[in-house]
Amino acid sequence: MKYTGFSDDRVKLFSIALIILMGLFVLRLFYLQVIMHDEYTQLARAEQQRRLVIPAERGEIYALTHNQPVKLVLNQAVYTIFADPQVVEDKDKVIDVISRVAGGEMVDKAREVLKNASDESRYVILAKGVTRKQAELIKKETLAGVGAQTETRRVYPEGGLASQTLGFVNAEGMGQYGIEQSLNDRLTGKDGLLQAVTDVSNVPLSIGKDNINIEPQDGEDIVLSIDRNIQSYVEDTLKKGLEKAGAKTGSAVVMNPRTGQVMAMANYPTYNPAEFFKVTDVQAFTNGVVSSPYEPASVLKTLLFATAIDQGAVNRMTPYVNTDSVRVDDAVINNALKGMTGTRTMQEAYNWSLNTGSVYAAQQLGGGRINDKARKIMYEYYHDRFGLGETTGVEVFGEQSGYVVEPNAASGEGNAVRYSNMTFGQGLDVTMIQVCSAFVSIINGGNYYKPTVLAGTVDNGVYKPDTKPQPERRTISQATSDEMVKMAMEGRKAFYDSKRDRSGYMVGGKTGTSQQIQNGKYVFNETVGTYLGFGGDTEAKYVIMVQVAAPDKKLEGGIHAGPIFTDISNWMIDYLKLQPQG
Amino acid sequence: MQVAAARNGRAVQGTAPGEPVLRRHRPDYLILLFMGLLMLIGLITMYAIGPQRANVLNNAYGSNYSETYFVIKQAVSLALAGMAFAAFAIVPYRFIQRYAAKVLLAGIIACTLLFLAGNVLDIRAIVPETLGAHRWFFLGPLGSFQPAELLKFGILLFAAGFLGMRARQGVINDKELTLKPMAALMAVAALFIIVFQKDMGTGISLTAIVMTMIIAAHMKWEIIFKIMLGLVALGVVFILIAPHRMERVSTFLSGDAISSDQASGDAYHIKQARIAIGTGGPFGLGIGNSVQATGYLPEAINDSVFAILGETFGFVGLVAIMGLFSALLFRLLRTIDGLQDMRMRLVVAGVFGWMAAHVVMNIAAMTGLVPLTGITLPLLSYGGTSMLFIAAGLGLAFQLSRYTSHLVNHKEGKNEDSRSRRGVGRPRYASRRSYS
Repeated sequence: MKYTGFSDDRVKLFSIALIILMGLFVLRLFYLQVIMHDEYTQLARAEQQRRLVIPAERGEIYALTHNQPVKLVLNQAVYTIFADPQVVEDKDKVIDVISRVAGGEMVDKAREVLKNASDESRYVILAKGVTRKQAELIKKETLAGVGAQTETRRVYPEGGLASQTLGFVNAEGMGQYGIEQSLNDRLTGKDGLLQAVTDVSNVPLSIGKDNINIEPQDGEDIVLSIDRNIQSYVEDTLKKGLEKAGAKTGSAVVMNPRTGQVMAMANYPTYNPAEFFKVTDVQAFTNGVVSSPYEPASVLKTLLFATAIDQGAVNRMTPYVNTDSVRVDDAVINNALKGMTGTRTMQEAYNWSLNTGSVYAAQQLGGGRINDKARKIMYEYYHDRFGLGETTGVEVFGEQSGYVVEPNAASGEGNAVRYSNMTFGQGLDVTMIQVCSAFVSIINGGNYYKPTVLAGTVDNGVYKPDTKPQPERRTISQATSDEMVKMAMEGRKAFYDSKRDRSGYMVGGKTGTSQQIQNGKYVFNETVGTYLGFGGDTEAKYVIMVQVAAPDKKLEGGIHAGPIFTDISNWMIDYLKLQPQG
Repeated sequence: MQVAAARNGRAVQGTAPGEPVLRRHRPDYLILLFMGLLMLIGLITMYAIGPQRANVLNNAYGSNYSETYFVIKQAVSLALAGMAFAAFAIVPYRFIQRYAAKVLLAGIIACTLLFLAGNVLDIRAIVPETLGAHRWFFLGPLGSFQPAELLKFGILLFAAGFLGMRARQGVINDKELTLKPMAALMAVAALFIIVFQKDMGTGISLTAIVMTMIIAAHMKWEIIFKIMLGLVALGVVFILIAPHRMERVSTFLSGDAISSDQASGDAYHIKQARIAIGTGGPFGLGIGNSVQATGYLPEAINDSVFAILGETFGFVGLVAIMGLFSALLFRLLRTIDGLQDMRMRLVVAGVFGWMAAHVVMNIAAMTGLVPLTGITLPLLSYGGTSMLFIAAGLGLAFQLSRYTSHLVNHKEGKNEDSRSRRGVGRPRYASRRSYS
């Protein structure tokens, strides 16, 4: 025999059986590994490959103190502690450890929840909002089946400061209200993507050929032009002033007249963004300065006289005869302050807020009547130049445009009566930010800046201010502006509270007390008080607008809003370290 | 056949024509070589997937295994296995055979102690409960010890001596003298291993050892078939009475449904094993690139290591590994064939049956040809006790591979004396021929 194998037939049998079995295995493996290779590779990929989103860190928000950024909103990592009831060995020990380390953050009845978990349950939350330090202490105990998930939470070291300007971030990570919403895209950044083969507990491995790793791009760190100290002072003063006036709501805004940047923007009532979920009235979220149009009343006389002077229709000393009322078509317009009859100047009309004066000035635009020409000029200034009735583009979410009726509007509303009302700030709906921005241009030489709450960004810890804002357009001439500064300062002097003004500084301003419309008719038992003015040393350095209101309460610009202006103005002089002149 | 001269394991010159001559020569170093290569592959695999294994355990149970824990423990196991191999290769077989009954007794005592400590006294510190049964003594830093392996090894030695003696006496087929005592011994072993320790894998392994021996001992086929029939019946009973075995079989019978989303138990295990093997493709993913070892495949370092090898080394690698196993098993068969003394033949046959059963059952289970049984892949799987005893068995085979018997054929004439003239201990197997 040529078979050189085995002499024993049973041994030979073993060898043949072995060869047959091994041959069978080779065939089977050829089927699994060569023929079915692609199918199994796909099956493996479906099971092993994961696409993980690497969350970008939301940008932080800074305010300024003078010119240095200070954090208003920052991120904090917090942890959710969870357990897999099927893996946990000593349930009591787990609960004991967590309650010792992070008892305050433990969910209600965690012990019962863990112990009574059903056989299918693989995920039970035991504690929420645990700090990193607590989470590390829990991790040190190496409890089987207990894990931590990280998430970031917004933290507000300044509490509720500037809350309506900031807005908040909801549970889904979306910015709501304020700049959190309007700048959501810039703050959010871009999430990264990690496509990788992972181990059975989804931890990415470096093994695998088609792994993708896109780094997340963190959101921008944004610096607001809001000055932390001014904001804080304005909020406090507004609150105190409102209490003193018995007002329920109020707003105040402080702008830099050389840049259009908002230095403070406060509303009352307000809320704490860290506890946004506790707010019951969503009105608290809205920033009244930009989203609540109203009729600001006589503060708009500043705009009207600027228009008339810029057009050369009148000047400050132009005389007119005040009879305490004036008939325009079928309407009679009265003065609020009676008895200043006789020949008066425009300046006097401004000082005493005589409606007959502002109507007279507007009539001069049309050669003696508030005719078509006069209305067109007024509309051009109010709407086109000063930007009333249009959104300004300030970066706070929810800005409203308000409404300024066009002359000769099809509805017939843009008539002479309406326009004569508009001369003293009634019959139109405008926001404080619109009026304030317009006022800025009137006292800064005629340069209209788009109002902004942004000052720059922080990049890798370095403050990068935006380029200095450029004026968007001219509103009035330099000469008119100079006249208006004088007019406002004179007006201020006539105001009773100006005795508190610090001497050696330029301060100007105008009151406004507006009747409110209820059910389409002006009512007489409720007025909103406004004060709009500026202050500075050799030139205007700040513009302040204050508004106070309460339902069924007569609040006046002079008595109720004015003192708040004065307080803020005097404090600003110190804060900005302005030097008294001559 | 009775060969007096072979008794002392020495070749005797000048034997009469027609009588076989037993020659002592250099041992079969190929046994050592193949065993070493397989062990090396196992060590490389532990090196490659040990970190993943440590990571999986640390994450799941909060344990603190280092990345090198498993490769170091495997290296220690291999060192101990090497010592066992050497010991059983050097200590004369007759000496070992003399203590066969005592080894068997030690195995039975160890299993009894395990039963007492686990099932009766319930001492968890020494006898931990795994999968509803007590299988190991936990010996602290020394690791753990599985008494069933000792019992299995004892039965191998004892049955080889016993069956070998009966075969020599010509009563291998005798009911009273051979079959009944063997049946009693096996019943005791089955009681401990299958009933108490619920270890079907070791039970199958032991059955394969003894079956290989009775076949090699030239028991009549008629009796062997009857025994096999009985074993099949018994197997069916064991499967029917144990729900977890029933589940394994039904999972197996549900077939090739690889996309089935059965998430737990054996179906999951088999699916993951096949994904591992299938993704390996023709050439494998390479060392250290196993993904299935990161927690997807259960028992990745012990029972399922074949699947990891498939993922790592691919079809080519697995064929090579199976080639190594086959070559090693063929060297064992060659050794049996060269031996004269039936007891020696049966010892090596037992080692052969043992290894072959493990290799075949493990590969068949991993490739989905038979249900899962929990049988390790010898020399490659992680685990100390089984490695130790299989190495001891191979050491014994290595020792016995020194001997070859020849039938001196005077008709062939010329060179018959040349064989006898070559001195004792000269390398003979290289030029050996067989006349049959």
